[in-house]
Amino acid sequence: MLVFATFPSTHAALRAEQELTRELPVELIPVPRQIRSDCGFGLLAGPLDPPGAGRAVVILKGHGATGLWRVLELDSPTSRHKEKRYEPIP
Amino acid sequence: MSPSRRVLDARGLACPQPVILTRKALAEGGFSELEVIVNTSSGRENVARFAGHAGCTIGSIEESSEETRIVIQPRVANLSDPTSTESLTEATMPPVEPGIQTILLSSRTIGRGDDELGALLMRAFLYTLTESETLPQQVLLMNSGVTLAAEGSEHLDNLRRLVDLGIEILACGACLEFYKLTEKLAVGRVSNMQEITEFLLEGKALSL
Repeated sequence: MLVFATFPSTHAALRAEQELTRELPVELIPVPRQIRSDCGFGLLAGPLDPPGAGRAVVILKGHGATGLWRVLELDSPTSRHKEKRYEPIP
Repeated sequence: MSPSRRVLDARGLACPQPVILTRKALAEGGFSELEVIVNTSSGRENVARFAGHAGCTIGSIEESSEETRIVIQPRVANLSDPTSTESLTEATMPPVEPGIQTILLSSRTIGRGDDELGALLMRAFLYTLTESETLPQQVLLMNSGVTLAAEGSEHLDNLRRLVDLGIEILACGACLEFYKLTEKLAVGRVSNMQEITEFLLEGKALSL
């Protein structure tokens, strides 16, 4: 399972990535257009098992994440890539 | 029974014509081997890659100083009849990929301005490229762009994903030498100005 987090600014996302590299497997990626249409960056954490995903949510919130999504990867009949579905985490 | 062979002479044709003609010949069928003759390195790479994507077998690749002869054996869908060559149709073959064929990255950052932002944009671009439906055939690296593919680069994972998707990464050899990275190229292969120029002139190219 993957968890995606957004931050208030690009600087905040960069800072969180630098702080988190030893705690979580994270990758700084553009905010997917399913979440927001404007340009921005967020952190994709994972792959994680369910308890690990729960811990990741707490850690990401502690480092300033303002939006969190559970990311499900599904096989796509029309694409060579997995389809990513984003479910908001309250 | 000796295999029937069709010869397709694609010498002198600009990219992507050799691939288009190869695709057309495979769709027409009626042979057990297709020999494609090309005289550019991009033609050789692109025809061989297309044949692989179409599920064909490369029987042999014979190179001389003048030309390359690629022998392609079409895949056989009808397993009960191994002599059948009717398995490749327009519908079952991959399309000749439209759009940009070559991307030139001539810097370790994207754009001019703040270097930290430029590096971040490069990471975001390469990640997004790995998720794209339309892919180029080559990514060329020049000047400080070669550092993207060198040991220790933060971009290696994304570049490896691109290689897994069938994209070739080519790094300018003189640039690697200039930055003392010749022995540290971690993804892709060393190229030269002739090949890089050929790719830039033969297909649709984008410089970032």
